[in-house]
Amino acid sequence: MGGKRRKNDDSDVEDSETASSKRKKTLTTEKKDQLRPSMIKNKEKRSELHAKLKHQKKLDKRAKAKSRDAAIKRALELGEELPEKKVPRTIENTREFDETVCKPDDEELFAGNDADEFSSILHQQQTPKILITTCRFHSTRGPAFISELLSVIPNAHYFKRGTYDLKKIVEYAKNKDFTSIIVVHTNRREPDALLIVGVPNGPTAHFKLSKLVLRKDIKNHGTPTSHKPELVLNNFTTRLGSRIGRLIQSLFPQDPEFKGRRVVTFHNQRDFVFFRHHRYIFENKVVKRAESKGRKDKDDKSDNAPEQKTIARLQECGPRFTLKLISLQNGTFDTKGGEYEWVHKPEMDTSRRRFFL
Amino acid sequence: MPRTTTLECSGCPPLRALAFDALGLIKVVEARDKQRGIPQVVERWGDPESSKCVMAVSMIDRNSQPLLAVARKNNEIEVLSPVNGDIQATISDASGLDICSEENNIVGLHLFGKQKSELASGCCTLLTCTTKGNASLRSAELADSSTESSHIDSPKTWNVCSGGNILCCKVDGQENFALFGGKGVEINIWDINNLTKIWNSKSPPKDNLGIFTPTCFTSATFLMNDEHRKFVAGTNSHQVRLYDISAQRRPVLSVDFRETPIKALAADIDGHSVYVGNGSGDMASFDIRTGKMLGGFSGKCSGSIRSIVRHPELPIIASCGLDSYLRLWDTKTRQLLSAVFLKQHIMHVLFDSKFDFKGVDSVPSKGKTQTEIMLSEEVEVLPSKRKKSSRNNEHVEDGSERKKKSKHSKERKKSEGKDGSEKIASRDERRKSTLKKKNNS
Repeated sequence: MGGKRRKNDDSDVEDSETASSKRKKTLTTEKKDQLRPSMIKNKEKRSELHAKLKHQKKLDKRAKAKSRDAAIKRALELGEELPEKKVPRTIENTREFDETVCKPDDEELFAGNDADEFSSILHQQQTPKILITTCRFHSTRGPAFISELLSVIPNAHYFKRGTYDLKKIVEYAKNKDFTSIIVVHTNRREPDALLIVGVPNGPTAHFKLSKLVLRKDIKNHGTPTSHKPELVLNNFTTRLGSRIGRLIQSLFPQDPEFKGRRVVTFHNQRDFVFFRHHRYIFENKVVKRAESKGRKDKDDKSDNAPEQKTIARLQECGPRFTLKLISLQNGTFDTKGGEYEWVHKPEMDTSRRRFFL
Repeated sequence: MPRTTTLECSGCPPLRALAFDALGLIKVVEARDKQRGIPQVVERWGDPESSKCVMAVSMIDRNSQPLLAVARKNNEIEVLSPVNGDIQATISDASGLDICSEENNIVGLHLFGKQKSELASGCCTLLTCTTKGNASLRSAELADSSTESSHIDSPKTWNVCSGGNILCCKVDGQENFALFGGKGVEINIWDINNLTKIWNSKSPPKDNLGIFTPTCFTSATFLMNDEHRKFVAGTNSHQVRLYDISAQRRPVLSVDFRETPIKALAADIDGHSVYVGNGSGDMASFDIRTGKMLGGFSGKCSGSIRSIVRHPELPIIASCGLDSYLRLWDTKTRQLLSAVFLKQHIMHVLFDSKFDFKGVDSVPSKGKTQTEIMLSEEVEVLPSKRKKSSRNNEHVEDGSERKKKSKHSKERKKSEGKDGSEKIASRDERRKSTLKKKNNS
């Protein structure tokens, strides 16, 4: 009991201090460590202290922001270098160290890339020809998704699945000189998996497909033209990532028609691959200085003609979805006798900061 | 703070392993420290080329004049010295087997340690087996790397199977018998001395649903070094089978392991434990007498395991595969000792157990003593400086300490440099000695 009372007394003292002056901030922070609201059992006192602390925190934050702004302003006036901006710590930039991340000066990597299954397509010795098919049963969103995929990927051909085995389809594709097979798997009338098979001996990647938004559900969507699209692959850093990147790259022709201004993006973030399809346009826009800056500037640069600035505008067209790699198999589709290059196993998920792509 | 869980690797005793990858490179991995060494890639032999993909390897692991044979995808067999990677003979298969083609690669290779016939010691005898089942025994003369070596006698060739693909080929410890098995080929055992088939296995009966699984053997190994009667085979239908020639033609014991095909098998030297690796990167050890699993090896292995090798002396096994890691495990505790990233798909791994670390090790120990001496000197010097610094303020003390540190580090670097040069020298000496031996012979 005695101890508790003393604590309360302390809190009273502290309150007076915090209210009176800001210069004893350090002292209060020290006290905070000693006395936390959770140590007080009386609810009224506790909530009182909590409110005080919260208020104090807010004031501190405001003061900090103010001082930072002042520093920037002073630096601008004096023409000095701006104080360094702090980079927030995110999961990506505190990623676990990974030795498999590709280094740009690694000759073995290039030798390996030249020897892999996609090099003939990526060196334009072979034009990609894609076979798209589905699982046995599909309906509603499945066919709609496939028709949009056909408009995204040039030289893609849809074949009805029928009752053929996938291995038979792979054989057929080998004979007909296809370079890849895409299988859209549908579950409960919703596409939920994507299988990309390299033909004749390329790897087989199995992706989970989620967050599918079709073209008609995107506001202000555009309709894509039949030009060959440009391809953007972001953040495929590791060995496995570069392999997946090359697999995706081999689906598209390597000579984009820039006239079409179509761009297909595969953006990898935390092992999720985001697919977007855009049309872009460069516009010359008159930038009004007056609005963007203060009146002082306007007076200074009133003699300047209104500046021309090119900006890129994007219009989204085509589907939008997210992929997550489940497995990468060596060779073509073979679930029974296949060898995996990479399989996702639950024991790998022991850290939030470990990424494989 | 970011919460990270890194796999703790305890390091491994001094050892030397050779890894063979899909681009035909041979990488030498060595752990040199006496206590808890971290293995590193010390050497790389060969140039990356996809047509040189390693298909099969074999090694004579002995003290004097060890030999290493490597079969490549372009049907060339190279005989190397595992000490320095010098090519001692190349045998191109074009002359020996006109049946060779893209689909007819060498899958099995064995280098005979004992001399088969009264040949000069500058010869080696090889058993090769291709996918289509063309087995051949040949001998090649060891020469310098520059000259193309020729066959001394025409190879003895025979066909092992009528149809199907051979996937595994093993020779027993006494080097009298060889087993062959594969997709659609039941395991058959041949007497190498007079080239006769002595035994043929029989597929297990249909199961209770009347389903017959087609035969497909992916890996096999003899259980004991000095006996050819018992062997273990892994199948594509994820079964590990124990065969006993003296008992019956059907498997004595058959165990299921997970759901992907067994890709690698290795027998322990104790004669009853077997290490199993499969197509999705799971590894486990079995007691094959009872068929019970002793335990799994867990270490975030994500790619198919292509090869498992037991160290002949130390309680260590090495595994490698398509995830391009070479992993070293303790056989007793089944803990991961360390993992080395080797950048390519690794096809095979071998231990060079007879590699003499004394030549390499003695020098670092000298270096250590040198540094120790330096340390002791510094310790002696330290107190006087302390006295001085105690008179002055604290900042000066900090500065002096820093200087000392930097000095120390410099000295270390120097000593390391010395080590390196001396190592090379010792290596050269060894090379010379081997050459001398050759000349003598």
